[in-house]
Amino acid sequence: MASRRAGAKTYEQVGLAAWQATEKVNAELFTLTYGAIVRQVLADYEDCVPEANAKLDAMGRSIGGRLIEEFNAKNEQQRCVDFRDTCETIAGVALRMFLGVGGHCADWNADHTSCLVVMETNPLADFVELPERYRDLSYGQMLCGVIVGALEQVQTRATCEWEKDALRGGDGFAMRVTLVGQIDTPYPFDD
Amino acid sequence: MSAPPTPATLPEEPENPPGVHSVWIINKSGGLVFRDVYADIAPIDTNETLRLASMWHSMHAIAAQLGPELRGELPSETDGFHLHCAQTPTGTKLMLTCAPGTFADHDAGQAVLRTVRDLYADYVMKNPFYEAEMPIRCELFEKRLRDAIDAVNGAA
Amino acid sequence: MVGLATFTIVSNADVPLYEANLGQTPKREDAAHLQEFVAHAALDVVDERRWETPQTNLKLVDRFNDLLVYAHVTAGGTRFVLLHDARNEESVRAFFAEAHELYVKAALNPFHDADSPIECAAFDDRVRALGRKYFP
Repeated sequence: MASRRAGAKTYEQVGLAAWQATEKVNAELFTLTYGAIVRQVLADYEDCVPEANAKLDAMGRSIGGRLIEEFNAKNEQQRCVDFRDTCETIAGVALRMFLGVGGHCADWNADHTSCLVVMETNPLADFVELPERYRDLSYGQMLCGVIVGALEQVQTRATCEWEKDALRGGDGFAMRVTLVGQIDTPYPFDD
Repeated sequence: MSAPPTPATLPEEPENPPGVHSVWIINKSGGLVFRDVYADIAPIDTNETLRLASMWHSMHAIAAQLGPELRGELPSETDGFHLHCAQTPTGTKLMLTCAPGTFADHDAGQAVLRTVRDLYADYVMKNPFYEAEMPIRCELFEKRLRDAIDAVNGAA
Repeated sequence: MVGLATFTIVSNADVPLYEANLGQTPKREDAAHLQEFVAHAALDVVDERRWETPQTNLKLVDRFNDLLVYAHVTAGGTRFVLLHDARNEESVRAFFAEAHELYVKAALNPFHDADSPIECAAFDDRVRALGRKYFP
């Protein structure tokens, strides 16, 4: 999708440039490390799937809160002007930069406060098949947490959940990102 | 009759060394989380640095209310030193003080701050043991930053 | 026409991980026990032979009457055993090579434990497809 900023690069081009400039790690190492984390979280919560989902989400949030600095530092980008711009940036730039996958936004609601961030592939889920007892596990929940945690640091409160999860029978991978509101920066005027 | 007390002579101002004097990092609520000095300048008391940091933060906030176009990049110059400041979209402020004339223009100062920001992202935010918004005690960061600033000062 | 092709995977710690009958002959109760016995007896031979070659494919390791036992050992010590009733070296080698890849993929699943049976349906489907391909 083309950027709406006149003369600017498309989100995809920005993402590819960021991907070029990013240090890479072996994909299997990354995928297996994530798998090991999920297994460990499940073990820690004694296979209680809802708690494991919540924990993965919380871990993701704290990663997102840190990663946003990296994202800003490595992207000499203007501020996002609106939520639409923000989501296109997540889909086109951030997913490419951190996961090496392409993505795009789809299915916007009428007032542009909610969309699907569709991922071309999900490297976290390579090799994975959910056993029956973990049917409700949101395996990639950490990724949703990362997005929420990162947005929180740039004064945007949002929710993010998997809407399509191929591990649970969906066709492909897509996250529903919904704007909840802006976080006002409290200025320390009464310092 | 004793002679009127002569006004205490001020201690000799240390010579104003060239180059970058210090780097400051202020968190989004105005707390000073990092300060390091790279030149032989008059020492400042720790409490004073905290006070200065939060004062700068507040001035910044007021300036942003007055003229949003100033946001993040308020240049500030005195006879003794120049101050360059940048703000990340998350609200963290990076600041450096330097001798007047260290940087040819505003952009040159911002370029150094960008280096600081890269190191901050790498060695502070990505350090799993660093707690967000808390004082930065990361040896690697201090070392890399010192190397980077020394390189700037050496080249200047 | 292949009458018999029984494929077994046994872990390094002697835990049976997977078993499939890829041949045309339906299992007869008594024959099943005999086949299992032959396959397991062959494991001892496999354990000796695996140190004699750097190859993963050990080819024909044992025979019992008209039953031929082919074996393949992964670097991690997981043993693939195929009970077969025809000399069919080339097909067996190719079958093992592809089954090895499927096994690696299954082992990379974070929910798979090294010494627990492979219960993944997709793995089973793919192995059976391989069986149809190489032992039609």
